[in-house]
Amino acid sequence: MTSLSFNLIKNKNKIFGFSTFLILLSLIGIIYSTFNTSYKKPINLGMDFIGGNELRIDRICKEECEIISPDLVIEQLRTFSNNKNVLNNIKLQIQNNNSLISIRTPYLTIEESNDLISNVDKILGPLNYESKNSRIIGPKLGKKLLKNCATSLLVSLFAISLYISIRFDKKYALFALLALFHDLVIVFGIFSWLGVLLSIEVNSLFAVSLLTIAGYSVNDTVVIFDRIRENLKQNSDNYNKTIQISVNESFRRTFFTSITTLMPLLTLIIFGSYSLFWFSVSLSLGILIGSYSSILLAPSFLIKD
Amino acid sequence: MKRRQGWLFFIIFLLTFSIYLLINFPLQLGLDLKGGSQLTLQLVKEDGKVTKEELEAVNAVLDKRVNNLGVAESNLQTLGRNQLILELPGEQNPLSASRILGKTALLEFRTQKESTSSQLKNLQLQRLKINDLVELFKISDKRSEETSLLLIDNLTEIENDLNYSSNIEQLFERLVETKKYINNEIANLFNKTDLSGKDLINAGRRQEQTNNNWEVSLSFSNDGGEKFAEITKSIAGTNKLLSIVLDGESISEASVGSQFINTGITGGAATISGNFSAENARELEVQLKGGSLPLPIEIVETNTIGPLLGSKNIVKSLYAAICGLIFVGIFMIFNYRILGFVSVISLIFYGFFNLALYSLIPVTLTLPGIAGLILSIGMAVDANVLIFERIREELINGNTLIRSIDSGFQRANSSIIDGHITTFVSCFVLFLLGTNFVKGFAATLGIGVVISLFTSLNCSKTILRFLTTYQSLRQKNLYLSRSTTL
Repeated sequence: MTSLSFNLIKNKNKIFGFSTFLILLSLIGIIYSTFNTSYKKPINLGMDFIGGNELRIDRICKEECEIISPDLVIEQLRTFSNNKNVLNNIKLQIQNNNSLISIRTPYLTIEESNDLISNVDKILGPLNYESKNSRIIGPKLGKKLLKNCATSLLVSLFAISLYISIRFDKKYALFALLALFHDLVIVFGIFSWLGVLLSIEVNSLFAVSLLTIAGYSVNDTVVIFDRIRENLKQNSDNYNKTIQISVNESFRRTFFTSITTLMPLLTLIIFGSYSLFWFSVSLSLGILIGSYSSILLAPSFLIKD
Repeated sequence: MKRRQGWLFFIIFLLTFSIYLLINFPLQLGLDLKGGSQLTLQLVKEDGKVTKEELEAVNAVLDKRVNNLGVAESNLQTLGRNQLILELPGEQNPLSASRILGKTALLEFRTQKESTSSQLKNLQLQRLKINDLVELFKISDKRSEETSLLLIDNLTEIENDLNYSSNIEQLFERLVETKKYINNEIANLFNKTDLSGKDLINAGRRQEQTNNNWEVSLSFSNDGGEKFAEITKSIAGTNKLLSIVLDGESISEASVGSQFINTGITGGAATISGNFSAENARELEVQLKGGSLPLPIEIVETNTIGPLLGSKNIVKSLYAAICGLIFVGIFMIFNYRILGFVSVISLIFYGFFNLALYSLIPVTLTLPGIAGLILSIGMAVDANVLIFERIREELINGNTLIRSIDSGFQRANSSIIDGHITTFVSCFVLFLLGTNFVKGFAATLGIGVVISLFTSLNCSKTILRFLTTYQSLRQKNLYLSRSTTL
């Protein structure tokens, strides 16, 4: 572990190349998602932001639940209901060995949602109402949430930037922020691609994860920059070399911290509730990318040719 | 050394106090952990600018209604400038709550305008017809084409008679809308009086003796009783009717007999019999008891979680938290040996202090809250890693153990504080701007960050100092992992 060392000076261009590649890939995802998808947004917004109705409920089966195709269920729903708003935009999945039904529809009133459940009960029942999870979000609230999330992101990015620029001199602050935006753009881009390829949606917790990643990534960069400043004070002769030594000195710390933060997140991904799954995934990705950018990318900005 | 001993006692005291708190004031679990319904209500105002007073007034009315709902431990609080959050633990079907809360429930008493009898009779007839259609709709659970067509034909006929058309596709919604239109029209045939729901002191409900319908009884205040007598006196013995109007819809029209021509109906009580079902009567009773809403509200979010799912969520989160702690503990002990052991102990303290603060403040624990707690474990360990790395470097550089420990803590200080401040800034913003869901995460992560400053800078140091008072624990190799060569 102690013998691990990076040659930053030599690999500077490779690091820049790699980061540019990731950023471009993310931007392509964001642009593709904005223009070439049904939802025409930089990222696939979930029901938190556009409103809708989500229902998850378990079936009660004696032994194993029999296989039934979602299309057939929707077909049968038509005989019970003529609510076109529901039937034309319904997304129905049956997961977990055919035992878990999850349904997404556009916004419904509570009455309509209850009707839908009782109709599903007639087709797939009996259902275990004790395990029900139903969420109805009105379109108005969705817009408000989106605005709120965007504001909190901007405000806290501004606050963090302010803190960094007071704490460091201009050059360091600029590079720390560059590394931060690099991380956020890439995580955002990954989720744009996930939306395009796997129809994964982002909800308000995604915005929370971006904010947490921001705090985390800046923290990592600050630790390394601190070390660089400290070492440069003692030894200012060989500038590039001192930076490289500082990075290698902080490497263990950043690496260990990432691992100790990733471990609980991985247990959340594996054991945690489904509503925290994508949240934990985006946090984990953010921490991986954040560690990379603070160990390799941010110090590379400082290296002189 | 003396000073550190003081800290040791202080930490032990804090730990005992935390355990005492946790035993006596158990943690409050959010609905996603214990099951129930949560409704988000938004005040509707055209210019969108809801004043604080208006929000308070709506809160007060809803609070009364909620109390009359009879759901144990229900909780209503304001959120932001124009929203309220209602939590109904254990409630699995928020339909009736939503109906009771969503209505403005503005009750008015109106007297009939001159020469409107024939218009009124026609409208009342149409209302009877539409009520029959609604009944038919409800009875025919699985509707055939035939019944649907029959319903649509009859409804269209009524609409044509009324010169009214709605562009609603859903049959039931259309029925409801047309009925509402009729009731509106009826209410328009009446003049407003100065008697309203404000003059009520109580409301009740009872079953009518003759049939299965329910009626709602009203008790007026002294002032209201006088107004009621005055109004009934003015129309007694005439062919004018008295209409009871709720939110602009006439729900009942009644004549006042000629025996009241001299005094009006006195006694300060009245009943509304408008074909109420038991449930409808209860809803109206609760609404009238609470008074009318100063501003209309809209239900913008409904979240229902079954109790089984809630307990599953607890188990899953516990698994995740404990496994996370164990993995981190093993990793730390493997890499830092005694130091790692110290960090594990201070992490356990950290956990207790966090939970104790949740019960002290109190913080309601939700799923995102648990995520915040689990993530904050990572951040707390981060501080330890920073310190231990410094100690390790000092040791490798040949410093004595005690000296290395001291300067390790000292030199890691600024980085730790920086990191905690940036995270805290994010949490603060999230807490101010976030939704209820997000607030839970921000609260636990934010509290975690503050406590972690104390445990990592102070607890770890105190425990370490305590351990190093034992000669046998002062060997340097107990502080470095095997791979490190001195």
